[in-house]
Amino acid sequence: MARSTDNLIAELVDGLGPVRPLRLAHGVAFVLGALVFTIAAVALVAGIRPDVESALAEPVFLLATGLFLILGLAASATVVMMGRPQVGNNHSGWVWAAAMVGLLPAAAAAVLIGDNAAATNSTSTQGFGCLLAASGSGLLSFAVLTWWLRRGAPTSPESAGLIIGIAAGSFGIFAYSFHCTAIDIVHIGLWHSTAVLVSAIIGRLAVPRLIRW
Amino acid sequence: MKADEASLSRLMVMAQAGNRQAYTTLLSECGHWLRSYYTRRVPPAVLEDLVQETLLALHQKLATWDSSRAFLPWLAAIARYRWVDQLRRIYRRQEDELPETLTSPDEEGAVSARISLESLFSRLPAQQAKAIELVKIEGLSVKEASGLTGQSESLIKVNVHRGIRKMATMIEKA
Repeated sequence: MARSTDNLIAELVDGLGPVRPLRLAHGVAFVLGALVFTIAAVALVAGIRPDVESALAEPVFLLATGLFLILGLAASATVVMMGRPQVGNNHSGWVWAAAMVGLLPAAAAAVLIGDNAAATNSTSTQGFGCLLAASGSGLLSFAVLTWWLRRGAPTSPESAGLIIGIAAGSFGIFAYSFHCTAIDIVHIGLWHSTAVLVSAIIGRLAVPRLIRW
Repeated sequence: MKADEASLSRLMVMAQAGNRQAYTTLLSECGHWLRSYYTRRVPPAVLEDLVQETLLALHQKLATWDSSRAFLPWLAAIARYRWVDQLRRIYRRQEDELPETLTSPDEEGAVSARISLESLFSRLPAQQAKAIELVKIEGLSVKEASGLTGQSESLIKVNVHRGIRKMATMIEKA
């Protein structure tokens, strides 16, 4: 760099205008807005499962969707905070929520080991469709969180990409669960969890280059 | 003026409101702080470039600080990010020789930078630290480093690659 630091400072001061600080509340509002919009879109395009419409949802549905919602919220909150750099920040809170969601595929595996028939009941065709639809349902959250971090200053782009993927995948499957009629733990543990995993991988691979600064 | 937390925070609030005089003082003070921060971390030849890059980053990311939070941890996070970025650039550079890094005539600064590197090296596996030291600091070719250490040429490359990645991760988590 040939120019002196004093010249640089003079140039930067010349370019100064009033700046509105990035507010966490705005980030959270954008994310929740994206989630509400996604649920509405799923309801309008695909429809809501009958037991939810009649307020008689299955316990498995309530537990699983609740876990995905918590993971989505925890991961999203982490991403929103990552936009504001600070030495000493801890961005590991979402890991506990992820561990809780990890119980779903673990439970599915346990059922599959003990009951092979369960595997055949949970068809891969339905599961793969669910996986694709859930991943698609997470796109808006994915875009909003990526946009937020482009405005911010994330100092760990790789971690941020991974967590964006987890948040988007969790919100995607949470929203799509309102349509998906499957209630068996094998389907939920296998395919719904895989949707989060796929989204996390995409986030880890695609997002860092978009948010570097 | 002493660049303490309270003064810098006040200047930053004024700068965010568009006060150019406050912003000039703030950037100048941040420049001093950054020089002190980087002196023990990077070779003298790249210090001023890194200070300028960080001031530029600070300018671009002014909105990411708000007055409810401390200023210096925010500045330190930006400084660390730019430092990690610089380490990554070193890693990506294809040349094997050392471009003006620790061969600078400013011995005092070079020693300080070396002290910082030593602390990072002490946390790396010995083979990785040795490979980085020979290729990236002593300026040996991969072939020469291979001959000296008994590691194959491809292992030298792998150890340099992995070691620098680990160092970047250590700095990010520091």
